Amino acid sequence: MKRFVMLLVSVLLLAGLTFSVTTIEFWHAMSGQRVPLIEDMVKDFEELHPDIKVNIQFTGSYPETISKLIAAVQSKNAPHVVQIYEIGTRIMIDSGVIIPAQEMLDKDPSFDIGVLLDPIVNYYTVDGKLYSMPFNSSTALLYYNKTLFKEAGLDPNKPPKTYDEFLEYCRILTKKDSSGKTVQYGFTWPTHAWVFEQMLAVADAPFVNNNNGRTGRATEAVFNNEAGIKIFKLLDQLNKEGLIINTTHEDWSAARQNFISGKAAMLITSTSDVQLFEEGLKSNNYELGTAFLPVPDVSISGGPVVGGASLWLIKGHPDNEIQAAWELMKFINNEEQQIKWHKGTGYYPVRKDAVETLHYELFYAENPNYFTSLLQLLLAKRNYNTAGAVIGVFQEAREIIENAYDKMVAGQMTPEKALEWAENEVTKLIKDYNKFYQ
Amino acid sequence: MKWGKYTPYILLIPTLVIIILFIYWPAVSSFMLSFYKVSPFGDIKIFVGFDNFLNLFKSKTYLNAIKVTVIYILVTVFSVIFLGYLIALLLDNKVFGVKFYRTLIFTPYAISFTIAGALWTFMLNPVAGHINYFLNRFFGISANWLTSQPFALISVMVTSIWKMLPFSIIFYLAGLQSIPEEVIESSIIDGANNWQRIWKIKFPILSPTTFYLIIMEITHAMFDSFGIIDIMTRGGPVESTTTMIYRLYLDSFYFQKTGEAAAQSVILFIIMCFITFFYFKFGEKSVHYQ
Repeated sequence: MKRFVMLLVSVLLLAGLTFSVTTIEFWHAMSGQRVPLIEDMVKDFEELHPDIKVNIQFTGSYPETISKLIAAVQSKNAPHVVQIYEIGTRIMIDSGVIIPAQEMLDKDPSFDIGVLLDPIVNYYTVDGKLYSMPFNSSTALLYYNKTLFKEAGLDPNKPPKTYDEFLEYCRILTKKDSSGKTVQYGFTWPTHAWVFEQMLAVADAPFVNNNNGRTGRATEAVFNNEAGIKIFKLLDQLNKEGLIINTTHEDWSAARQNFISGKAAMLITSTSDVQLFEEGLKSNNYELGTAFLPVPDVSISGGPVVGGASLWLIKGHPDNEIQAAWELMKFINNEEQQIKWHKGTGYYPVRKDAVETLHYELFYAENPNYFTSLLQLLLAKRNYNTAGAVIGVFQEAREIIENAYDKMVAGQMTPEKALEWAENEVTKLIKDYNKFYQ
Repeated sequence: MKWGKYTPYILLIPTLVIIILFIYWPAVSSFMLSFYKVSPFGDIKIFVGFDNFLNLFKSKTYLNAIKVTVIYILVTVFSVIFLGYLIALLLDNKVFGVKFYRTLIFTPYAISFTIAGALWTFMLNPVAGHINYFLNRFFGISANWLTSQPFALISVMVTSIWKMLPFSIIFYLAGLQSIPEEVIESSIIDGANNWQRIWKIKFPILSPTTFYLIIMEITHAMFDSFGIIDIMTRGGPVESTTTMIYRLYLDSFYFQKTGEAAAQSVILFIIMCFITFFYFKFGEKSVHYQ
């Protein structure tokens, strides 16, 4: 017996020497049908690197994930790789707990940053440094129901381009029954300030000063500009005429339901839902159409801001673990994985080679809706307005804008007043936040 | 085995360690944090004295949260006590299938607050929900229950009442069943009518139960309302359903404002201290125990 135990121990030791396994933690915020997709990615990675074990964990929504990261960092128990939403960028840079992706890139000749799509690199680059590894990127997109367009006598291949057209379409698409109850609305949305930010960038206007916080720390909100007011006025008009279904704040799934069930004919939400709507509308015998976000006027053309999330590397781990984590980040970013991810969700492939391959495979020819979303991103003007704002209080700023919207809808404030109030409140928040870093 | 002088203390150590680690230590650090402004990752702390508290009481958002909390507590606690007592009276009757009704009525108690919220969200959906369907069918009206004022607050309160009601029914029913037959019989002989029996005899006898329930329901409404609000309205529209506990959650877990959130938790702590104080002070005196 004793001999057997000795033998077992020595075999295990030997095995341990030959396959010393590095274990890393990976936290993500992808729920629903995206969980198996991301878990498969990690499985593929482990097969390719048998010496690395990845503990993958779903840590709740984006804000919850950041909260958990903070708690973990404070208890010295931080993960190696964590998926943080785009608006967490400023907080993460200021946190002092991360290793900028740029540092790893500079040491690693196997990865050329030029392979990533420019607008996506632009978003995650602050002060000339790429801070995190792009993973799941999306923008807002206008989805519309071609079947309902046809029923209302509209050309299903002519989605609205300007605010005026958009409003007119909403009027045509809203239907009432004999008792005066609205049975079909022109438009729905997740009542999310993100849509406002997107439309602002499409109208080529800034959100905060100092070039959207990209040439220096932002000190003031500036979204109460002509473009901002036009967006609020449009939304106000939609509400006054009863052409829109609002959801509770930031309720993506309620907006999806409204659109899939045909209760609303148009929807502005994330491009990451293309796959979901393709299937959802088909099952209700509807045909899906997609279009660029409307502009205030044909003479104005900015572009959507990259949203979604990216992968951050957390410092304070041994070198071999950091290296393993970096390998994982590169792997998730590679062509094959990005293509799978793109097809399975609608998030952009963040790489040029992936787009090229998909084109050769005729994927975009067969799936025009995926193409619309990509085209909108690629055709966008490249400047600070479309690069997107960087502030540390984004989450709360969004709540304020959503509250301003509510106040306008409830008739307590005019669009101008509501936006002015929101801008002042957000400026206060930014100033408060900046006190930490003076 | 001999009991030494210190044996009790040694036996208490495990409990004490756990309480200190998980209750006293976090409480003390909350108190300390409430005097600081803390950066999101907690690496920078700026001492601000009582500024966090002063700013809270100057901020319209927080004053509004207090207002919403007061309305919410008054309405839900009163309804839960009143309706709970009436339903318990009905269930106290010996009618056919009363056990079946009791079981049905108690089910909401077995459901968590979050699930209660999700259920009512389905029913209150403006376009596909049951409630608008029936209202529209019979009265030709409908409302955006969760996205417009004042309906959002009403919906949240109704859900809370529905959820918390069984708790008070159980206690009242147990109380009613333990009232001695003689008391009821003598009241009948003395010529008291049913109404007088319900309010002048049974209700006062049950006053300890009522008092206990009021305290319990206030704590429920203060703290457990979180689940329902988070699922149903997320505090909207225009913060009309943001209670103090939901505000605390937002500031701490959504906006990473640890200092402000700590100050809010201190305020909640003080309020709870008052409630407990009143509970012990007046609970013993003014309530009739049989």
